[in-house]
Amino acid sequence: MIITFPHMGDMSIALKALFTGLGRQVVLPPPISKRTLELGIKYSPETACLPFKVNLGNFIEALEQGANTIVTCGGVGPCRLGYYAEIQQGILKNLGFNFDMMVVEPDLVDIIKQLHRVAFKRNFWEVYLAFRLALAKIHAMDSIQRKVNMIRPREVSVGESDFIWRQTVDVIDATENLSTLRTAWHKGESELDGVKLKSGVRPLRIGVVGEIYVMLEPSINQNLDWRLGNMGVEVYKTMYLSDYINGHLFRKREYLKKFKYLADLAHPYLGHYVGGHGIKSIAHTIDMGQENYDGIIHMFPFTCMPEIVAKNILPKVSNDVDIPVLSLAFDEQSGEAGIVTRLEAFIDLLRYRRVKHHLA
Amino acid sequence: MAIRIGLPRGLLYYQYGSIWERFLQELGAEVVITGDTSKATLNCGSGLDEVCLPAKVYFGHIYELYKQVDYLFTPRIISVAAGQYTCPKIIGMPDMLRSNIDNLPPLIDVNLNLRQNSRSLYQAIITVGHMLGKNAIRSLYAWYHAWQYRRMDQAIRYSKPNGQRIGLIGHPYIIYDRQISMNIIDKLNHFGIHVITPEMISNRQAAIAAKTLGKKIFWSNGDHMAGAALALIQSRQPVDGLIFITSFTCGPDALIGELVNQRAQALNIPCMLLTVDEHTAEAGFVTRLEAFTDMLIRRKQS
Repeated sequence: MIITFPHMGDMSIALKALFTGLGRQVVLPPPISKRTLELGIKYSPETACLPFKVNLGNFIEALEQGANTIVTCGGVGPCRLGYYAEIQQGILKNLGFNFDMMVVEPDLVDIIKQLHRVAFKRNFWEVYLAFRLALAKIHAMDSIQRKVNMIRPREVSVGESDFIWRQTVDVIDATENLSTLRTAWHKGESELDGVKLKSGVRPLRIGVVGEIYVMLEPSINQNLDWRLGNMGVEVYKTMYLSDYINGHLFRKREYLKKFKYLADLAHPYLGHYVGGHGIKSIAHTIDMGQENYDGIIHMFPFTCMPEIVAKNILPKVSNDVDIPVLSLAFDEQSGEAGIVTRLEAFIDLLRYRRVKHHLA
Repeated sequence: MAIRIGLPRGLLYYQYGSIWERFLQELGAEVVITGDTSKATLNCGSGLDEVCLPAKVYFGHIYELYKQVDYLFTPRIISVAAGQYTCPKIIGMPDMLRSNIDNLPPLIDVNLNLRQNSRSLYQAIITVGHMLGKNAIRSLYAWYHAWQYRRMDQAIRYSKPNGQRIGLIGHPYIIYDRQISMNIIDKLNHFGIHVITPEMISNRQAAIAAKTLGKKIFWSNGDHMAGAALALIQSRQPVDGLIFITSFTCGPDALIGELVNQRAQALNIPCMLLTVDEHTAEAGFVTRLEAFTDMLIRRKQS
């Protein structure tokens, strides 16, 4: 059993740690490239959303490199993600690949059954350790990334924080137990604390809302955080992998409380869950509007159903809360220049607004 | 004077409209239904961005209607069957209307969610009755009456197959809206082809056929469509061809269409995917239909 799984930002690092810890060999799909996209597009239905196509490209490339078991997620709808696996399996079988697909459905009995198959001669304690290490890696990486997004617009020598970040991620990837992980994490954080900052700058603050895949995968969102950071913007992403895991998988109380708060905020505009992150996009826009952010960027894959609902409601929210919102749909055609132009125009608008508010 | 309630002819109207109309009439309201979709409806419908054509059409119907009525009947239909949803755009529709049209009359947007249990239906009925000043028993009775009416309505739509048969798979709000579907049923009939739509397949038949899928589909329309398509191609006398008609950016259909196509190919049954949007030109549409039907005829002869 040689395991592979789709890419989403730095998630592969955690999943690699998990499955290696469970005693399995892992083949990572090659990093998302032009070829990945081309393969995905070629064999996917035309109007499927972008994550579907990229995942399929990942699977094809990983199977070519010798993987024979795909681990991916399921779901109960109404977002399309929950039905990806069934369709992708059909497409890959038609292409002549020989493989097993393990779909992780949100159902405890099912998860335990799957785990039993994967965990190779491992006892309960070892399984627990593998999970704990993977989760700790996610937390460490997210916490570092958050810090980098804060530092980037303020650093004196451009690129310093990014360098430390990538270096730390590499070290985290290599760690095999919690104590070395903690050392790496603290070293990264203290290095970031040592980055020299410009004094007296007050960068624009932009909140990013929308769909998790395009938000977390830099090769798809044209490296949005980095671009914005270098344009002098402090980026606050409303979703990281650790938030998703704590909220949706472990259903921690503080996160559930936050969901409740967000659903109440969104209720006048969107009265019911529409799948995916639609309701959160609206709620975070209101929330961050009230906290005096300068602007919101709403990003989603083209044809994403929940976010299209949100997109049609956001102009009204933007008007009521008085915060500019830029909606960006990403698909395989999204070119770099087009995105950059729109970001620049949006930032100019926000700067102008800030000056105007300052004078008023 | 009776309360005037507007009922837009779009989306789930094509499945439940006659019951809703009857129900509201039983409650003593005057029901105003918009006419067939026209070019003008489509123009008004572009108020919504990036949504599928049927959603735009629905918006267009609301636009035609909202100034003439006291209430708009736009229930939020979250789920009509256990474990299934309708579609995110249908769930979010009342909110999209509210955010995009100013001065809307009050919406009757009761939640209907049968995903976990069917209690929600009775709550919705009673809430609607309350809004119109009727008590619970009157409302439930009105619904019971309306439901009876539906049974009769369905019995009429039965027809027997003969000659060249094509399964036309698509949402009812696409197939039966003549503007959106370019009148595809009449066009095919004109070529001398017998058309079978998913509505002619019983729920039971579709459900049995859908059991061959690896995972149950969680959109109720998609589930029925896929089930019907599978029933048509897997039966002892399979159809000669399948046409899957969908609208551009319909989320579920992107996957269901692929699924149906995979299965049809495996059974060596021709399957054509037709995508419509507001720009679809009739000539191109007819050409594709002709080419497909010609191919089917030749295939049968050889």
